[in-house]
Amino acid sequence: MSQFRPVREVMVVGVGLHAFGRFPEENLSDLARDAVVDALRDSGVPWSAIPVAYFGHVYYHGMSIGETTLAQLGLTGVPIINVENACSSGSTAFWQAYWGITSGVFDMALAFGAEKVPSGPVTVTAENSPARYIGGDHMMAGYALRMKRYMEETGAPASALAQVSVKARQAASMNPYAHRKETYSVEDVLNSRLIADPLTLYQCCPTSEGGAAAVLCAADALDTYGIDRSRAIRVAAAALTSGNYNGRGSDHSAFSPYRTEPAALQAYEMAGIGPEDVDIAQVHDAATIGELQQIEALHLTPFGEAWRATEEGRTALGGDIPVNTDGGLLAMGHPFGASGIRMVHETVTQLRGEAGPRQVENARVGVAQCSGAGDVTTVHILTR
Amino acid sequence: MVISVDERCLRLTDESGERGALLGMRCLQCGVHVFGPATFCQSCTSPDLEEVELSADGTLYSYTIVRVPPSGWPGPVPYVLGETELPEGPHVLAEVIDCAHEDLRVGMPVTLALQTVGMDGIEGSERAVYKWRPV
Repeated sequence: MSQFRPVREVMVVGVGLHAFGRFPEENLSDLARDAVVDALRDSGVPWSAIPVAYFGHVYYHGMSIGETTLAQLGLTGVPIINVENACSSGSTAFWQAYWGITSGVFDMALAFGAEKVPSGPVTVTAENSPARYIGGDHMMAGYALRMKRYMEETGAPASALAQVSVKARQAASMNPYAHRKETYSVEDVLNSRLIADPLTLYQCCPTSEGGAAAVLCAADALDTYGIDRSRAIRVAAAALTSGNYNGRGSDHSAFSPYRTEPAALQAYEMAGIGPEDVDIAQVHDAATIGELQQIEALHLTPFGEAWRATEEGRTALGGDIPVNTDGGLLAMGHPFGASGIRMVHETVTQLRGEAGPRQVENARVGVAQCSGAGDVTTVHILTR
Repeated sequence: MVISVDERCLRLTDESGERGALLGMRCLQCGVHVFGPATFCQSCTSPDLEEVELSADGTLYSYTIVRVPPSGWPGPVPYVLGETELPEGPHVLAEVIDCAHEDLRVGMPVTLALQTVGMDGIEGSERAVYKWRPV
């Protein structure tokens, strides 16, 4: 879109993770700090050289939690910005880091995210909201409404949706950072307990804890900071959108292109590529139906056909468009603040050729798409 | 007298809390309706809006049977959550009552029904809540 004018080329030069799962002994700052230390080590850049940091998180753990977290690494006086943008909080922090550099303001930036999440269904509204009486504020029930429509309109069988989750676990079984690594069958998924028909438990992402971090640097500043150019991955596009009114605003339709498509089109235009150029994609699979809708809105398949691509194994590792190569939200789990940066972590790892048994051969272009309440969408395109 | 669960979305028309109308806003510039309050049109951003009572009848756009409720849900479990499309355009989420699970169908006609609901053990928490019921 014409209002965005990237000036400098931006690279991801370091990524880090704290494992995803449940960590009762660790607080939010522990999870975040470990991911940051990992990313800094990966980049070779010392904390003292970082000029700005953005921290994505959703649940409240005290004021200025980004500042108190990074204080553990030393008080360097840099601006630290706390970012809340629902499930896209981490990817929004990354987006801000990108724009801070490409605009010419900073040479480098740290984007990091972490979450401590309560168990049970996720709600969006405040405790005393009228929504509690109405029963509609239930993240997975929302996905179930969309899934019902999708199955009605496309004829997708329940088994095709279950296959999304089977595929996620297969990828996660090769990922030491994943929350859920045990593989299972389509029957196991369909026979797990119902959460909100037709969504079963194994079709919903676990509410997990974890941390993720990325160090970004201007391409023209790599040598100044002695960064290894061979492992730097280019950020070809960074797009962030919120809800737009298309027909009637927010609903639970089979296809919701107005949620993801504007950010996707913006990102493809910025990167100067099309969906046919994408080698791998990390998309927002909070529920199985979510993955199918995001694949379609990113134009990786025609609308209504992502379920068939899934059945045919095209979106699995070894397929022609591998999606959620680290296990995605379904198997990694979903620490809101961390997930968007976790997607960047996996994309960078794949494009560097460092994904081990999960490695997609010759992956050169990766998309990371993350959604959040408020119809937020981020789409980042990374290239080697 | 029963209080509306959200006076900006549901206007009660009698003291029993059993009759009322869903409220919306109609844009005088582009004609788009939204459910609930608005200061500016969500579609064209015009400030030129008027409050309207929305149709009590609609069709079931989608539904789900919620087996694991959100925290604070004061009703029975499982419950049916329905998304109803109103003739004016807006979609309204609410519980579908008085319908056997096997009779639920996408596209079935439903109508507005009000029920008084209280939060378990909280005095003064009773509210008139809008629901959908098969016609």
